[in-house]
Amino acid sequence: MTARDEIFAALPRAASANPHADAAALLARVPALRPARVGPDPVASFLARLTGPVIAATAERLATRAEIPAAVRSYLAANQLAPRLALQPSAALQTLDWSGIAALPTIAVDEPVSVCEADYAVAETASLVFRSGPHMPTLFAFLPLHHIVVLEAAKILPWLEDAAALEATRPAPRNLNFVTGASGTTDIEGTLVRGAHGPAHLHVLLIGGQIAALAPQPANVP
Amino acid sequence: MSTPIPPPPRVALFATCLVDALRPAIGFSALELLEQAGCVVEVPPTQTCCGQPALNSGDQAGARALAERNIELLEGFDAIIIPSGSCAGTLRAHYPELFPPTSPWHARAQALAAKTYELLSYLHDIRHWRPENLALPASYTYHDSCSGLRELGVKTQPRALLAGIAGLTLTEMAEAETCCGFGGTFCVKYPALSTAIVSEKTANIAATGADLLLGGDLGCLMNMAGRLHRQGHRVRAYHAAELLAGRGAAPAIGEPE
Amino acid sequence: MTAAFTARASAALTDPTLKTAIERTTGNARAKRAAAVAAWPGFEAARDLGRDIKDHVTQNLAFYLATFERNAIASGAHVHWARTADEACEIVVRLCREAGAHSVTRAKSMLGEEIGLPHALEAAGITRVETDLAEHIVQLAGDRPSHIVWPALHKTREQVREMFARLHHEPGGLDTVEAMVASARRELRQKFMQADVGISGANFLIADTGAVCTVTNEGNAELTTTPPRLHIVTAGIEKLVPSTAHAMSLLRLLVRSATGAELTQYTTFHCGPKRANDPDGPSEFHIVLVDNGRTRMLTQGLEDMLRCLRCGACLNHCVVYRQIGGHAYGGTYPGPMGAVLTPVLDGLKTAQDLPRACTLNGLCAEVCPVKIPLPTLIKGWRDKSWRLGLEPRAATLALRLWRLAAQHPPLYRLGTRLALPLLRRFARTGWARTLPLAGGWTAARDFPAPARKTFLDQLKERRK
Repeated sequence: MTARDEIFAALPRAASANPHADAAALLARVPALRPARVGPDPVASFLARLTGPVIAATAERLATRAEIPAAVRSYLAANQLAPRLALQPSAALQTLDWSGIAALPTIAVDEPVSVCEADYAVAETASLVFRSGPHMPTLFAFLPLHHIVVLEAAKILPWLEDAAALEATRPAPRNLNFVTGASGTTDIEGTLVRGAHGPAHLHVLLIGGQIAALAPQPANVP
Repeated sequence: MSTPIPPPPRVALFATCLVDALRPAIGFSALELLEQAGCVVEVPPTQTCCGQPALNSGDQAGARALAERNIELLEGFDAIIIPSGSCAGTLRAHYPELFPPTSPWHARAQALAAKTYELLSYLHDIRHWRPENLALPASYTYHDSCSGLRELGVKTQPRALLAGIAGLTLTEMAEAETCCGFGGTFCVKYPALSTAIVSEKTANIAATGADLLLGGDLGCLMNMAGRLHRQGHRVRAYHAAELLAGRGAAPAIGEPE
Repeated sequence: MTAAFTARASAALTDPTLKTAIERTTGNARAKRAAAVAAWPGFEAARDLGRDIKDHVTQNLAFYLATFERNAIASGAHVHWARTADEACEIVVRLCREAGAHSVTRAKSMLGEEIGLPHALEAAGITRVETDLAEHIVQLAGDRPSHIVWPALHKTREQVREMFARLHHEPGGLDTVEAMVASARRELRQKFMQADVGISGANFLIADTGAVCTVTNEGNAELTTTPPRLHIVTAGIEKLVPSTAHAMSLLRLLVRSATGAELTQYTTFHCGPKRANDPDGPSEFHIVLVDNGRTRMLTQGLEDMLRCLRCGACLNHCVVYRQIGGHAYGGTYPGPMGAVLTPVLDGLKTAQDLPRACTLNGLCAEVCPVKIPLPTLIKGWRDKSWRLGLEPRAATLALRLWRLAAQHPPLYRLGTRLALPLLRRFARTGWARTLPLAGGWTAARDFPAPARKTFLDQLKERRK
């Protein structure tokens, strides 16, 4: 017998006549018990959590995509970074006016800055979601020290289950990455240090939505 | 319109082997408190031990034999009251597990479990008894013994009862719900480990500056008091029932009579 | 009590820095978990759901394994099956050799530790680079992990500083923990890119997509699994969940229970190899599904343990773990979950102390995110140990004598009547400093003098 056969032979027969139905029934219990993490405005919940004390990322709101290069320039200047970056090879970003910045479609192992666009985000956990593909190399989200992420406000989903439901409708990418804050470690004496192997800084450029909500958000949404 | 007064319950006091041999004052306190709370109390004279040492050592057959013995001895009472969370937990949570669900013993064990109570929670929750005319100017800290806390939900009841003693004030220790390292046979089998755990407990007790250490399980109290005494601390230890029965002036655990 | 365990525990108890090191990390973890749980009113209901999801999978494991295998293969993955630890290691080593691998990077995986993969790779002459910071520290120290979430929690910052200064190529200043982390970042940077094979574990296997979910905070898993030509996953067969949505419910529980966060920084679903036009990613993706005792657990009354998410909460809250740390347990898995699993993996005879060195205080079960009745399972091993005669002789004899007496009240009464005066002779001042046959107790504690007469005897006199 092969190892596979032997393992299956050692397993009891399935207890459920219809495992799919039973599995779906389990999920029906989720909405009633989820942590109350998303208020009526998912964008506000997302921003509050993203910039709150736990995740401690930074964010700014832009009215249009055309403002992205200028915002990146200001970020580089404010952080005393050279005008060069790895720019995700997506048409939507590459076609913007990056004059004055060396915006490369590839990434070096010690690249200080990269700019990527998140496919969508989840308000519950303030997670940015990246789907690997021809226009989204996974390493763009992991190699740089500063990760600048573009996100359309309209693409913020309330709950993790909404992300799962969305993914169920499309072919799986090689990597589906939920990024929730900059890289960190507590491996030495439980002390939190940012920038373990991945980015040390996460900065979100949130495009569109109600710009009036730009005012600081409370850290915890009731 | 008057409601008929229910007849007083006929309860069995199961003293536990530790109380019987080492600190009868707890047994007498329990007896008096139950009578104050309107119970007709009997102390079955052939009682011995609940069987917990066998149960926790893996001796299922031994534990079952003692469980059967105790079921026969105690099932005729309206309630079985035990001045120990861990022994009460043995009857309530573990006797039924000792018998297969189809066995007649299982049903009997379940029936017994349903009317077995830890003393302090029984007084507070079931009999709604409250101390009267008691005073003791002292501060205390309280250790929540694990079985009582986690198997029986004993947490607020002893504190609520002790709050009825005038002059007695509570200073909570850090990690009041953390195990003291007694663990029944654990402290004998792994003394060095047990010592390390109880030493952390006694440090937390001493840090409160309280005069008294109170609890609801003699095993844990002896473990903590024995360590406190060896370390030279002056904290005095009692079972909470002793204070509630007005024995706060009597010698504490380990003090000469 | 085996001499080996006693010696390890004693070494841990006398280690001058271990206790402080353990408390720094586990204390932090306990506080953060408590805050996360307090902020989630639905936590209890979520634990019930977590338990039920995992039980549903266990009860339909063959169905979900077959579904996962089918979907993983459809995504372009290669699926391998291993009955034992050795078989699993052989598969991984063979894949590395076939790929002509000189260097492999590894993202922390408890299953990898369980099957002895680090050793197997070394024995095969393959350079192994541990990329999780803690595993990197453990590797530099030639040590073993001591916690399933923080493998290097037994090391103080001073010890890490000394090691990095000696072994890193560009340590720079190491005055702060930040500087130490930066030094490790520099040290591992090129190694991520140069590795031929990346090996990771799995927190969840998603049946309906064939994807493998990993959670990390450092970002090392993705840097391990993206640049090399091959990505190999080793995973226990109990890691299945029906769908991504089910994984979300378990992630909420897992991360809060482990670190108190709502989600780890990086939660990644790896599905198949690099696609045709992908700029990065491995060209081959292999998944090794490992039994190693898990199907046996189904027949040993240990199916509840297959729910374990490896969050480490039971370790962080265990009074014994907090005193001795992970190495003293002697197996891959320490603490309460280790006391249940290690006898399965290493045999009860070898691991007999683990279920015994437990106070049965029940806190582990109270904090377990999937409600594993750990004390009950630990007692199950004690039952077996008693039946196999592994319990220490003296304790067994004492227990049998006591049981005989407890079943015969006149004998019991006689015994206590004889014992009390004897005990009192050792405790003339109220406390005994030494007692025959109770050296364990009196080594560190005094023993209170018993009453002159037992409660039952005194009661009889009073009622005459």
